[in-house]
Amino acid sequence: MTAILSSRPVREASALARTTPGMLTALALALVAAGLLAGMFTGLAVQRRAAAIDDLATTSGPLTAAAQEIYRSLSDADATATGAFLTGGAEPAATRQRYFADIAQAGNALAIAIAARDPADVTAPGSSLATLSQELPVYTGLVETARADNRQGLPLGAAYQREASNLMRAQLLPAAQKLYQGETAALSADQDDASGVPWVEILLAVVVLAVLVLAQLFLRRRTNRVFNAGLLAATAAAFVSLVWVVVAASTASAYVSDSRDEGSAQADVLAQAGVATLTARADETLTLVARGGDSSYQDDYLNQSKRLGDLLDRARGMATADDVRALIDKAKAENARWAQQHTAIRAADDSGDYVQAVAIATDPNQSAGVFDRLDRDLRGATDDARASFGDEVSGASSALSGTLAGVTVLAVIVAAASAAGIWRRLRDYR
Amino acid sequence: MKRLLCCLTTVLLLVTGCATVSVTPIPVVSPQAPEPAKAGPASVASAPPAADCGDPTASLRPLSPMPAPGGPMPPGSTMDRIKRRGKLIVGVDQTTLNMGYRDPFTGQLSGFDIDIARDVAQAIFGSPDAIQLLAISSLQRVPMLQQGKVDIVVRTMTITCDRARQVSFSSVYYDAEQRILARRDAGISTAADLAGRPVCATAGSTSLNVIQALPAKPRAIAVSDWTDCLVMLQQNEVDAVSTDDVILSGMAAQDRYTEVVGASLGAQPYGIAMPLGDDTMVRFVNGVLERVRADGRWAASYAKWLDNLLPGPAPAPPVAKYRD
Repeated sequence: MTAILSSRPVREASALARTTPGMLTALALALVAAGLLAGMFTGLAVQRRAAAIDDLATTSGPLTAAAQEIYRSLSDADATATGAFLTGGAEPAATRQRYFADIAQAGNALAIAIAARDPADVTAPGSSLATLSQELPVYTGLVETARADNRQGLPLGAAYQREASNLMRAQLLPAAQKLYQGETAALSADQDDASGVPWVEILLAVVVLAVLVLAQLFLRRRTNRVFNAGLLAATAAAFVSLVWVVVAASTASAYVSDSRDEGSAQADVLAQAGVATLTARADETLTLVARGGDSSYQDDYLNQSKRLGDLLDRARGMATADDVRALIDKAKAENARWAQQHTAIRAADDSGDYVQAVAIATDPNQSAGVFDRLDRDLRGATDDARASFGDEVSGASSALSGTLAGVTVLAVIVAAASAAGIWRRLRDYR
Repeated sequence: MKRLLCCLTTVLLLVTGCATVSVTPIPVVSPQAPEPAKAGPASVASAPPAADCGDPTASLRPLSPMPAPGGPMPPGSTMDRIKRRGKLIVGVDQTTLNMGYRDPFTGQLSGFDIDIARDVAQAIFGSPDAIQLLAISSLQRVPMLQQGKVDIVVRTMTITCDRARQVSFSSVYYDAEQRILARRDAGISTAADLAGRPVCATAGSTSLNVIQALPAKPRAIAVSDWTDCLVMLQQNEVDAVSTDDVILSGMAAQDRYTEVVGASLGAQPYGIAMPLGDDTMVRFVNGVLERVRADGRWAASYAKWLDNLLPGPAPAPPVAKYRD
């Protein structure tokens, strides 16, 4: 190594470098390298941010919605299938349709969720995707067996329905819950990635500007010329690049923050409220089906009902759009009405008037209708929140559009202009 | 310096150049068979104390004179309190075909046990409809009486010395025998064939104790309702169900691929259970049962619910035994 350093070509090169033309050449090389490297790394940082926003729009956003749908549809399917055992006779066509719609929706959402993941995510031990895809056919098989036995007038049908409900509550719903929590965490992580302050970009631009200013000061000392056109142009380009990146990144950040405050955070609370509604409804139905022996469902109903009230209040506090606020107010009114209906159901059932209790629970003008409206209001509010999320993410994406190209072009201008500026001074030494 | 550079370069090349990918394997998954809620191996029973209480089926002599159906009840008695409440609360089953079950066509609870319960309500109120039927599990029968949540329990409840220490029983209203239900081709025809095989009964039933005491040592599986046993049998999770022939015949009627086999594993006399020590109520209920036996209502109920289910001619109502 020392042999290389003390050889003739190196000694001659270092002697040359100490002359003014040598230093100017070295300066030009340094400026070009700095400009291009800074441009490249700034471009990479901008690209990373754009990719995170893109992920929000095409992956984590839709997957969170899919996970919400799976959870919601499975809860509703179980509530509907169990409700068919409240009244005598074959289940009404509308009930059967609702159940099939729920299973189709859950299956479709599950397929989307699985398609967005790698096989390793499904084969991992304890994977919720594996549980859902393996146990959903088993669940539907049990429900169909329950239906077939019920149609023949066998009390065996009710036993199969109980087994199906047990499978749903013990395995499918916890897996759906776990999937939903995972997707929500991924969404939040993506939002954090996309909305950070652009420190790297600012630092690189400041370094380039500092180098350019120092170069101009050096030139003034050595050549007695105050201004160098090329370096001035390069400084201007570097400054424009800095401003552009900061403005674009900040705007995109703001949009992504809004997508959380006006979109995904609200959608999360509203989706949880929707699930609490369905679980409470299933509990109300199961208490009636158990006919007095099992009070655990009524206890769970009380928990879910309280949770629903809290979630609705929280959603109302977080709501930013008028239509969402209106829907949540309607939902709260329906919830209050449902609580009254539930008290009436319990009073009738506890005093022995089972027929009356079931009548209130299944009457579209009473409890069943109130529950349907509450469910619909919450779904409407969730859809609105999701739409807001989509709009904000689009805004973020358009705020960043063109930034990558702009940064690249400006970096090339910085390099070319500084080289040209110093070349003009170098020509003086010929 | 030169040697260090050489080593670093070699290591880098090795690490990056020789990294390989492996294919994600597609595993073979084993199916998870669904099970009824609360199903599992029965806890090892402490040997039921061979309590000798004489003849537990010998109950108290009926009230004499019996109040007229719907008429005034002896003041201060349980019947009077029930009458003032306005309805009789009865713990029943909703899963056992033709004994106590929810009829899918009508959504109503009906069966032989329900008929007997309605006869008691008729005797108090003059109407069989002044009744609230609570569907309870085998395990809840004694606690519900002890907590006063039901007035009587009419739910295929076998009279035993052990239970007679916790609740009071009426006279016998039905004589059942414990037998075995198995698939037709399973090769089970006696208790000896059950060796080491899973056999189902509900938790809290005398049937489970009998299974655990069998010399063939089957594996006892406990569930919470009788139809859950039939579900497990159909899903091949148990090889047999052992309980009273009346319950088993109801199961066999729902699944024609099963049959009731084997000799009797023990007599299972059914009684109506009431809170412990309520002698007036016991005497009243015994009086009701005497009337039900004598005036043909027992025979009518049997003909409606059990005649088609059980082989042989319709038996006569069981004769009541009294200890006083």
